[in-house]
Amino acid sequence: MTVMGRMKDFKRFMSFVGKEFNHILRDTRTLMVLIVMPVVMIVLFGFALSTEIKDVKVAVYDPSRDAATSRLVSQIDASEYFTVTAFLDGEDGVLDAFRSNSADIALVFEDNFYHRAVHDGDGRLQIIVDGSNTNIGSMAVFYVSSIVSSFQKELAQEAALNQSSAGGSSVDSVSPVTISTSTRMMYNPQMKSAFNFVPGVMGMILMLVCAMMTSVSIVREKERGTMEVLLVSPVKPFSVILAKAIPYFVVSAFILLIVLCLSVFLIKVPISGSLMWVVLVSLLFILVSLSIGILISTLVSKQEVAILISGMVLMLPTMLLSGMLFPIESMPKVLQWVSYCVPAKWYIDSIKVMMIQGLGIRYCLDAVLILCGFLTVITGLSVFKFKDRL
Amino acid sequence: MYSVEADNLIKRYGSSEALRGVSFKVSEGEIFGIIGPDGAGKTSIFRILTTLILPDGGSARVLGFDVVRDYHEIRRRVGYMPGRFSLYQDLSVEENIRFFATLFGTTLEENYDLVKDIYSYLEPFRKRKAGALSGGMKQKLALSCALIHRPDVLFLDEPTTGVDPVSRKEFWTMLRRLKAQGLSIVVSTPYMDEATLCDRIALIRKGIFLDTDTPADIISKFTLPLLAVSGSRMPSLLRDIRRIPQVFSCFAFGDTHHVVMRPSDLSLDAQINLLNTSLHAKGHSDLSIKPARPNVEDCYMYLDTLEEQS
Amino acid sequence: MSRGENTRKRIRELLGREDDHFLLEGEVIRTEGLTKCFGDFTAVDHISFSVNKGEIFGFLGANGAGKTTAMKMLCGLSKPTGGRAVVAGYDLQYNWEVKRLKKVIGYMSQKFSLYEDLRVWENIRLFGGIYGMKDHDIAEKTEELLQRLDLMEQRDRMVRDLPLGWKQKLAFSVAIFHEPRIVFLDEPTGGVDPATRRGFWEMIYDAAERGITVFVTTHYMDEAEYCDRVSIMVDGRIEALDSPAALKQRYGASGMDEVFRMLAGRAKREE
Repeated sequence: MTVMGRMKDFKRFMSFVGKEFNHILRDTRTLMVLIVMPVVMIVLFGFALSTEIKDVKVAVYDPSRDAATSRLVSQIDASEYFTVTAFLDGEDGVLDAFRSNSADIALVFEDNFYHRAVHDGDGRLQIIVDGSNTNIGSMAVFYVSSIVSSFQKELAQEAALNQSSAGGSSVDSVSPVTISTSTRMMYNPQMKSAFNFVPGVMGMILMLVCAMMTSVSIVREKERGTMEVLLVSPVKPFSVILAKAIPYFVVSAFILLIVLCLSVFLIKVPISGSLMWVVLVSLLFILVSLSIGILISTLVSKQEVAILISGMVLMLPTMLLSGMLFPIESMPKVLQWVSYCVPAKWYIDSIKVMMIQGLGIRYCLDAVLILCGFLTVITGLSVFKFKDRL
Repeated sequence: MYSVEADNLIKRYGSSEALRGVSFKVSEGEIFGIIGPDGAGKTSIFRILTTLILPDGGSARVLGFDVVRDYHEIRRRVGYMPGRFSLYQDLSVEENIRFFATLFGTTLEENYDLVKDIYSYLEPFRKRKAGALSGGMKQKLALSCALIHRPDVLFLDEPTTGVDPVSRKEFWTMLRRLKAQGLSIVVSTPYMDEATLCDRIALIRKGIFLDTDTPADIISKFTLPLLAVSGSRMPSLLRDIRRIPQVFSCFAFGDTHHVVMRPSDLSLDAQINLLNTSLHAKGHSDLSIKPARPNVEDCYMYLDTLEEQS
Repeated sequence: MSRGENTRKRIRELLGREDDHFLLEGEVIRTEGLTKCFGDFTAVDHISFSVNKGEIFGFLGANGAGKTTAMKMLCGLSKPTGGRAVVAGYDLQYNWEVKRLKKVIGYMSQKFSLYEDLRVWENIRLFGGIYGMKDHDIAEKTEELLQRLDLMEQRDRMVRDLPLGWKQKLAFSVAIFHEPRIVFLDEPTGGVDPATRRGFWEMIYDAAERGITVFVTTHYMDEAEYCDRVSIMVDGRIEALDSPAALKQRYGASGMDEVFRMLAGRAKREE
């Protein structure tokens, strides 16, 4: 093909893209919904988080009852987040306290805690969480842990002072004062928490915008009869469809940006892994969703059907089977297999790994590769299924 | 060379046959009209010729290219205006036409002379959204968009449906001008009065052509005596005329009723007398019975009735 | 005086509003300076006319002349921004009267008429029900209607499977099923073959003979000839109103299409 020809093709393609942008930007109502919806969802979750972490009921089992444990307990009680409601007589009391709803979390100290912490460098504290209250779970652990660690510093400084007054060395090289906390979730061992909603919401929104909006906008052309005119023109029909995908890609990337910003600055989800990889994997998932949207549009010819398919056939599994609402591990085997076919599951999995657990891309490479597989297969299918006649 | 050649086209949708063997030829620079009601198969013909659907039988060539095999070549060279308004309602007039220009790798400026006549009507509303235009304006915009790439054949599927008589007349004037520039035009319409504006027409009914010819020749084939009857009470007059045994058919036609008499040895005057006496007997007054010149609609209804009876 | 009219009178009395006999004897529609503006655009510009009971009134005009807007106002779908109109005794400026108006009018358009995915009898029953007819009456009239349209054997068919011509006839019958005082027809015969189109007009004549006033728009000028009187709208105003014969005489035209073109051709505003 000549350079001129290619230029012409490119110009034609860009005029298509421009037209799609016009369609999207002029339908301000839909655009607002697309942008406001994720914001509302994220803000709602964030709001729910910041209010419900107040006055968490704490039960304490403290067999050692020494200076350190009573100081730590009173510090926890003094914080705005926690109220100590019960001192238990034995470890067994924890279950009863949870069941009678008199405690949300329990702190179990070991015998002789102070001594072991300061002298052996290994004071053990177990935090048991009533996981049935998902909102409290991980946040409570997070706050308790931070109180414990600052308390640990206090202890260390005191120990250092003691040592230096006894003619010792500098503060930093003090013998280690360590409190090791271990966390146990009861009833909800996956630690489902509001943090975990963030990847879920991202998966859902991106799926919705890309798959539903793309398929609807292509099918609309079929319904309105404009596709007829486009087909009776020398333009390659598949480039018509590709041109549709680009603006939605941009819109999705914009929404992704909003969601990420809100998660970081409003809910303060710690993106502990690499931000670059989070973004790259999200873009990959956007491509997968776009390809699904295109595939749907090649199969149906009515807007309602496109909405129903992307709504029911994509959204429901995305919400139910992706691990966003219910832990996949506790589902029946059949449903687990079905969930493997839901692209959003793999996306949400990998985002959880990177955003919440703070691990590197290495740990979710399999999920990313599977997403690549989805992309190839679905794009292939839609190219195969695409008809250049009515 | 013919611009369009269709040979025994057949199209089925499930068990129903939309086209049952349709053949015709369109010469270069000719306006060919396909005349008939909705559901007669007009749109199927257009979609086959514009390569949008495949025929289930028969073959067709457009500008010498086969509609099945060479569809890429055809799509480059034809202009198509589908039955429904098929432009982007949320884009402005100008955006629409520029979009279709780029689609065909051209610009509005390059082919402005071709669409000038039509587009000049639209220019005052360049910035208006296509969805906010009136019927006649939408139709002009759609025609401009179908013309913007200088096609050799123009396919217009019911371009004047739902459009008022004034805009319709303007539209046909535009078509005559395009024809003068050498364009071949295939156009369908449910309005029989537009038939005479075509060079040749085909009357279509339930997937077959009743007749294909020039409008004048189609009319000249109508040899039965035709009378125009009017009176003071038109509705009851219609019913009473139909009860006369010598009457083949009677339909309201504007301000008169068109009466087709059964073939007989009676002279025209004798037939007028016959009608006059039997209608007077039924109490009709102010009667006017005159021989009438048939038009395409008379022919269509006559052929339709014949087909219905066979 | 019917029960409905008595109620209306009572309500008027309660509201302290005298019946000013705006509607003259034998009229079903009367408008005076009826106007509809959208922003600074006047779609319908002070139209005044009246329609007599049992009349077939042709409402003609070019696309965008304001026909549809005017018709929407007369059906009570759109509130006038000026002037006055009384339809079937109900004054369009009062919402409670407009609500009652809808019970005594019928409406049919080419675009919306029947539910394609319902059976013939289901459509009839539905519309009977919508207009508050009694089940017993519906059943009786359905039989009669199906017999008259020769649709007895098609009663269980889906409407979408009927030929277009039958659909239009059925749609019209459904529109006048509840014996409305006026039926509004918006381009009822678009796309129908010539014979069916004429059959349709014969049904219109029948309805008019039964005393139903027919208010019809069309783009077929031969159909304009079938009307008792026609009005031609140009740029939101009624430019001419008379019987087809009188109009043709006045403008020295041989047919209504010529009259129409002479008048509508003067249009200045484009949309």
